[in-house]
Amino acid sequence: MFRLRKVAVVIRREYLSRVRTKAFWISTLAFPAVILAFAILPNYLAMRSGGSYTVALVSDDPELSNRTAVQVRERMAQQGDEGGAVVITLREEPLEADGAAQRTRLKREIADKQLSGALFVTRAGVEKGRVEYLTTNTSAWRLMGRLEGSVGAGVRRMRLEGEGVAPERIEALVRGVDVSPVKVGKDLSENQEGVMQSFFLSYILMFLLWMSVMIYGMYVMRGVLEEKSSRIVEVIVGNLSPTELMVGKIAGVGAVGLTQYLIWTLIAINLAVPGLASVVLGATAPTITPAILFFFVLFFVLGYVLYSTFYAALGAAFNSEEEAQQMQSVAGWIIGLPFVLMFPVINNPDSTLAVVFSLIPFFAPVLFFLRISVQTPPVWQTVLCIGLLLATIVAMARFAAAVYRVGILMYGKKPTVKEIIRWMRSS
Amino acid sequence: MEPHLELRDVRKAFGHVVAVDTLSMVVSRGTICGLLGPNGAGKTTSIRMIMRISLPDRGSVLLGGEPMTDELRERIGYLPEERGLYRKMKVLEHLEFLGEVRGLERREARRRGAAWLERLGLAEVRSRRVEELSKGMQQKVQFAGAVIHEPEVVILDEPFTGLDPIATRLLKDLILEMRERGTTVLFSTHVLPQAEELCDHLCLINRGRAILQGTMEQARARFARPALLVRSQAPDAAILAVAGIEAVRAHDDQRIAELADGASVAEVIRSLAQALPLEGAEPYRASLEDIFLRAVEEDHVPAA
Repeated sequence: MFRLRKVAVVIRREYLSRVRTKAFWISTLAFPAVILAFAILPNYLAMRSGGSYTVALVSDDPELSNRTAVQVRERMAQQGDEGGAVVITLREEPLEADGAAQRTRLKREIADKQLSGALFVTRAGVEKGRVEYLTTNTSAWRLMGRLEGSVGAGVRRMRLEGEGVAPERIEALVRGVDVSPVKVGKDLSENQEGVMQSFFLSYILMFLLWMSVMIYGMYVMRGVLEEKSSRIVEVIVGNLSPTELMVGKIAGVGAVGLTQYLIWTLIAINLAVPGLASVVLGATAPTITPAILFFFVLFFVLGYVLYSTFYAALGAAFNSEEEAQQMQSVAGWIIGLPFVLMFPVINNPDSTLAVVFSLIPFFAPVLFFLRISVQTPPVWQTVLCIGLLLATIVAMARFAAAVYRVGILMYGKKPTVKEIIRWMRSS
Repeated sequence: MEPHLELRDVRKAFGHVVAVDTLSMVVSRGTICGLLGPNGAGKTTSIRMIMRISLPDRGSVLLGGEPMTDELRERIGYLPEERGLYRKMKVLEHLEFLGEVRGLERREARRRGAAWLERLGLAEVRSRRVEELSKGMQQKVQFAGAVIHEPEVVILDEPFTGLDPIATRLLKDLILEMRERGTTVLFSTHVLPQAEELCDHLCLINRGRAILQGTMEQARARFARPALLVRSQAPDAAILAVAGIEAVRAHDDQRIAELADGASVAEVIRSLAQALPLEGAEPYRASLEDIFLRAVEEDHVPAA
């Protein structure tokens, strides 16, 4: 029995009872804040991570030592003051005859915090292409990057001058070349947007999709379990068929998820997020095209319906969350598998591997969406993917309805796999 | 009287345990019927089969002469034995939801819900969450939710459990009012005084079978032996020694003396007065409890 009016009553209850809670609003508003904090803070803090360092520059070659020191000073003079300057004070000292004693002394100074570190630019080291830097803090990335750049540039200059190149020509001769990717669209449009940015965007959207399908699926399962354990089912089963109850619940909880997306989208559009995004991602903020947004919502709805139907069946078949846990984690693995395949798919979205896996309905919501966000797949694949998903949803819904019909009124006994199969057959 | 709700040779087994075995019973339209029986007799199983929560292995359930279907079931208001409400919902909203689920318009559901809360003395908790209510209050709310759509049949599984005397009185009045409006009521209980007060008709089941059906008078006639209520300081043995008395048992601070077959009441009272210091003796009207105990006892020791 399926009466839309009754389903609507259930949807309304499910929706309002969730949207009206404080928890909903807290999580809805906290999520963007947390994402921003995670995205911005490390970058921001790293940029502010300037500081003063005293570094011993040890060398057995005065010229090598001098060349390095010049480069360090040049780089220090060039740096702006945005994001905190890295100030390096060099203490040049020759490599002593008793190297071991000198090393021990320097190590003690480093341990006593009198020195940030000791850089050993020796002829032998340069020959091998590897010099040592002793320090207690091996994660002072900016300092070490600066030192490495200085040693490299100093050595290069020294070698080139040794080959008779005029010093003033060196700058021009050693300059590198960057390759900047230009994304070509179906309409032959060119887009210079950073590939890194669109990768980030794909990743964030994919993660969001995965997370919300999981979380809302879980809500459905909890709801069913609550109805079972509170015996409310018995109160309403006279007037609602299990199918109506299940469909209403899935639709109501799904609507809550869409509401959450809507709020996030509004926040993203209206607030300072574009500005913030440029801080986060360095350059221009990547734009979410309407097509991507459309597919995002589409795949959320399809993925959510598929998995929440499964979760509804789990809730109906078991008596408590603990009991359902095992099966629940199976679902978590299946839907999480696309993360393993993420890099191969991003690298080559048209490879056989990517195409095959992204068409499997259980992976499709996340993986096919990822392909779309990287590179538009052929239309036939999109159609096939959605078709397969819909067919799987229908099959899953029939399975779930069968389990639901019997399971929701069965208490106390954990169903065996055999029983679940029997319920399916009897439907 | 016209049969309204009927069970015909209904049987239900769980594995090897037969919970209900060829049970037949009839509830007439506009009457109150009590479904009585000891724990585990099959009361709840029978009710759940009427509600199609579980389906009988054999036999049929009829409503108004037609086999029960999911559609017909909507005419029944049902209060399950296990109480269940959405704990986080507000009381009036919950009634509104139940009313809507049972087919009322939202506004009408809300109006009736509010009226019910008024009637049940719960008006001031209408905006509280269900979980903040006491168990008894929740039970009242659930009762209102079960009958909010004014169903033609109301089935109450152990409706008095957990209610205080005032709430019990209120619920009894409500059940009697429903009968006045022509509603058919079936309720199960093992609290017999309540059943005695309410039932037009009773159905006593034991071990999944109906062992007694009919009015209180019919039940008395079938199961109650003639007995005397005896007020005396004499020991049981002295009373038992009087001719015509077959058994003696305590009843409050008095004794009930069951008469032997064929003994005359007047004769035995006279003999008692001669044999003992007697403060009083009068014919004893068997209570439902007596009938219940006797019937169950006889059922367990089948007459040879």
